[in-house]
Amino acid sequence: MTRNTSDHCSGQAGTGRYAGRHEPEDLPGSTILTTDFRAKSPAWRLIKSYTYMIRNSRNIHFLIFFFAVVSFLAACRQPVSKGDTAAGDKGNTTDAPVFTKAVLKYAHGFLIDYHDHYKLLSVLNHAGGKTDTMKFVLVQEGTPVPEGYPGAQVIRIPVKSLVVMSSMHVAVADFAGVADRITGLGNFSFINSPLVRAAIKEGKVQQVGLDGNINNELIITMHPGILMTMSNPDASFGKYKTLMDAGVPVLPNAEWLENTPLGRAEWVKLMAALVNREGLVNKKFDSVERVYNELAQLGTKATTRPHVIIGMPFKGTWYLPAGESYQAKFLNDAGAGYQWADTKGIGSLALNFEAVAPEALKADYWMNLAQVDTKKEIVGKDPRYAGFKPFQTNGIYNNTKRVNDLGSNDYWESGAVSPDVILADLIHILHPELLPNHTLVYYKQLK
Amino acid sequence: MQGTIRKSRLLGLVLLLLLAFLLDIAMGPVKIPLRDVLRILFSFRSGNSTWQFIVEQIRVPKACTAVLAGCGLSVGGLQMQTLFRNPLADASILGITAGASLGVATVMLAGGGMATLYAIKEMGFSGSWFVTGAACLGAAAVMLVVLILSRRISNNVMMLIIGIMIGTITLSIVSIWQYFSEPELVKDFLLWNFGSLGGVSGGQLFILGVVVFIGLTLAFLSSKMLDALLLGENYARSMGLTVQRARVIIICSTSLLAGGITAFCGPIGFIGIAVPHMTRLLFRTSSHRILIPACCLTGTLLMLLCDVISQLPGSQTVLPINIITALVGAPVVIYLLLRNKNIRAY
Repeated sequence: MTRNTSDHCSGQAGTGRYAGRHEPEDLPGSTILTTDFRAKSPAWRLIKSYTYMIRNSRNIHFLIFFFAVVSFLAACRQPVSKGDTAAGDKGNTTDAPVFTKAVLKYAHGFLIDYHDHYKLLSVLNHAGGKTDTMKFVLVQEGTPVPEGYPGAQVIRIPVKSLVVMSSMHVAVADFAGVADRITGLGNFSFINSPLVRAAIKEGKVQQVGLDGNINNELIITMHPGILMTMSNPDASFGKYKTLMDAGVPVLPNAEWLENTPLGRAEWVKLMAALVNREGLVNKKFDSVERVYNELAQLGTKATTRPHVIIGMPFKGTWYLPAGESYQAKFLNDAGAGYQWADTKGIGSLALNFEAVAPEALKADYWMNLAQVDTKKEIVGKDPRYAGFKPFQTNGIYNNTKRVNDLGSNDYWESGAVSPDVILADLIHILHPELLPNHTLVYYKQLK
Repeated sequence: MQGTIRKSRLLGLVLLLLLAFLLDIAMGPVKIPLRDVLRILFSFRSGNSTWQFIVEQIRVPKACTAVLAGCGLSVGGLQMQTLFRNPLADASILGITAGASLGVATVMLAGGGMATLYAIKEMGFSGSWFVTGAACLGAAAVMLVVLILSRRISNNVMMLIIGIMIGTITLSIVSIWQYFSEPELVKDFLLWNFGSLGGVSGGQLFILGVVVFIGLTLAFLSSKMLDALLLGENYARSMGLTVQRARVIIICSTSLLAGGITAFCGPIGFIGIAVPHMTRLLFRTSSHRILIPACCLTGTLLMLLCDVISQLPGSQTVLPINIITALVGAPVVIYLLLRNKNIRAY
């Protein structure tokens, strides 16, 4: 059992992250049938405009051209419709499009409702006891925008080009196999994905700036299908008003507010809905979920619970993940003892250095220390840290194994959608006997 | 009569100070019985190694830092208020603190990129010494500019305005940097900007101690010049004082105090403005031979009390010291002013 899980996990680490990148587009959702072709189709509008031109023209060539266009359109339309019906509707007799639905099990931050030719996406914010919602109507290309959703932003799907702000968004796009659709990035130096870095080198991606420095004019001229930001849905959206007025849908990705690693990773399904790849993404996520849950069972049943401290204090304040955060969940599932596991909140606790020191002095492991690579650097920050037990027993592990030459850490990129790999790393560190054959992917021991 | 009151007040301050020092060491998020605290303090031994670590490595260095910062900032503020004969002056008025901020911003925000920080680290510099060194360099650079200008300017009011301008320019450069930096880096810088007494220990504490000692020695030596300057520059000249040389000594002293403390603790506001006023009102004198040591005592006392409050007794968290100094200091100054109804000695 142990052996199996371990092998599976390493496999996941090696191939899982970028698998699917070259898979073909999921067809069932990507093409569409309308109930009334003539009323809404752009082709029909084209025909109407040509009819108008012909009425006002005596030129016979126009007439010939007109018939050529009409017959060409008819020829194109016919077989696609037939094929689509055959592939898409499973016993469905109507002409409505059939989406493979994204099934959400862990994420609390968004909901997707499926309708005949559109999806209704709600991005939720549960802060302060109330639930705020931002609504988005994901309308299949070539179909009309549904009525009755005032205030909702309209996104045409499948989204063909993305402007993203954080490395997490890159990871999500990579997971869904659409990283090649990224045309704009907040900042080039935060990226790990080899595919996106190659695209940057070829000049296919533009740097659009982050937060206050967003280059609105550049983004508007790029006409992206969507702009994905990392802001809290509750935060002021004022700075994006110009972009939204210019017709660029702005979608906040609040995955960091999720309280479980799987919930955070499940935001890949939001990306799936945007590019009509629910089928593929569901399948890939299921495998991540299965491995994670198997590992979590292994970890939570461990007989010992070695104590762990997290993070690097700064100027007398020590920020530690709160008990309801996904980081705390990671520790729990990995079979770690975490002093602050029962605290409330999903963010971090700002604790007095002294309040953490007693735990740090006797903890078994010290993890996620931000940007340090050696024990010497830790002492360089503050000589007092040498007194901590993990320092003396070589129990310091940092999540910086996959930091690239730009200083960007893949833990926050591919790691965000590979919680199973991170959990395997943690279990291997805390309980080596449970996963003896695992090789650390994101973590490394500091010496 | 006046002398006895002054002496008894001085003695009272010393006692209060000792009490505050003990209070600062005895209080903290981890409850340690006073008996054990005292045992650790005096015999350097205790049955509980965790308590020993907390008292020796955390609380005592923090209390010592509070003492040094309290002394230095209040004396620096007193010197500036006298030199410029302006009740609003404090140790940071000449832009020295802003210079330290610029140094820290250079390191922390590193040209606005994670990559630059990474490159610096690859070159082998790292740790808190690097940040502190940069802050010292920044403060020294601004001090140099101020000193060069002070040789060319005969008027103290002009000096004051030019100092404020230099500070403003320096802070604008920092702001530009902040504007173009990544949020995480800005957050670190912001935390530094809140000020903290908790990050100084070991060798750093020793260096801070030496810097503050030199600065205070210069201040004590300049007390006669300060007394003369109080009467106006012309009068001081007539007493045989070389105003420009006095100015250089006073600026050097304040720069060392403000620059050094800001480098190690981050900018700590308000103490420099409030303590000289409190001391003047408390001792009813304008003689710097009394005011300077009295400022040391009052500043230290206030800083220690602020540190105790910033630990939010009974809680696990800590508030930035900069917030507390203003919250506690301002009402005290207002109260003292209302009781005395006039500011003297300018």
